[in-house]
Amino acid sequence: MSKDLRFLVVDDFSTMRRIIKNLLHDLGYQNVAEADDGKTALPMLQSGDIDFLITDWNMPGMQGLDLLKAVRADAKLAKLPVLMLTAEAKREQIIEAAQAGVNGYVIKPFTAETLKEKLDKILGAPAK
Amino acid sequence: MSSTQDATIEAQYGARVEALAAALRANDEARFLGVLDDMLHTRKPGLILELRDLTSNLHVALDRFRLDARLADFAQKDIPDARQRLAHVVEMTAAAAHRTLDLVEQSGPPAGRIAEAAQALVGPWKRFRERKIELREFHQLLKRMDGFLPAARADGELIRRNLGEVLLTQGYQDLTGQIIRGVIELVRELESALAELTRLSGGEPPSRADESTGSAQAHGPVVPGVTQGEVAAGQQDVDALLSGLGV
Repeated sequence: MSKDLRFLVVDDFSTMRRIIKNLLHDLGYQNVAEADDGKTALPMLQSGDIDFLITDWNMPGMQGLDLLKAVRADAKLAKLPVLMLTAEAKREQIIEAAQAGVNGYVIKPFTAETLKEKLDKILGAPAK
Repeated sequence: MSSTQDATIEAQYGARVEALAAALRANDEARFLGVLDDMLHTRKPGLILELRDLTSNLHVALDRFRLDARLADFAQKDIPDARQRLAHVVEMTAAAAHRTLDLVEQSGPPAGRIAEAAQALVGPWKRFRERKIELREFHQLLKRMDGFLPAARADGELIRRNLGEVLLTQGYQDLTGQIIRGVIELVRELESALAELTRLSGGEPPSRADESTGSAQAHGPVVPGVTQGEVAAGQQDVDALLSGLGV
């Protein structure tokens, strides 16, 4: 798997973005962009050079689920791998995210191993 | 009926009744209501004003009732929930601080061991590089190196692992931040309800309270005792649910 993948990490908390960025660096991914909500993220995704999206759910502005839906609705982005990393843990929400086409779902608080495992799983299999 | 009375009625209402009938025929609502108001004023001058007051009071009472219901909700549910949320935040921050301190404390000794062992090697190593080392000390140096290298590697790994844990532990800021933002929103709603109550008490026309639509989508982190509905107990639950859905 290529370590040149360009990630976009979307979370309204800068601390969480730093944590995820650090973990990605540890895993060998140096190319990480950040956005603090869906509204900021979407144009970055549409500009074209993001290979993997990691997004929170609960954010002001545009929420993660809406970002996911927007991504899936965009022909150019429809196949972008999306990992949701969120504190939202309700059963119905996880199902909703799955139905919206999420590729992985990790609940906070999470471990470095869980993140790695999900990334490997998603990158190992072709994105839906 | 006497003719005097007839004359009075005629004088008082005759023209108005005709005007009323004319307005009715012409379907002139404004004129019709105007004449009707005028007649009612004549009959009982205070009636309209009283009705107006009554209606206004009724509005205030209804608004007040709605507000009372909202305030009762605040008192019975939202405020106790918020207390529980904030207590959970205190617990989470304390747990994160302790976890961080534990990890720092656990990292001190291995860092100290590496530094001390390296320091002990500086002298013999210098003499070795300057070819001034004696054979006995050289053998000791080799032995020390044999011990130092794997120990430094193990201690280094331990420290790195601890630092990784410290990093992850900082995720508490996101989780508690989300909960605190929810409480801030509640305080804002409470503030606007109290402001409205003040306005109503002052008899001023009430403005519409913000009906918080909230986000139906996101609930924030799970707070034990507050969060309702079926919640994933951990990542394993999530994985099981998703694999059942083919993700």
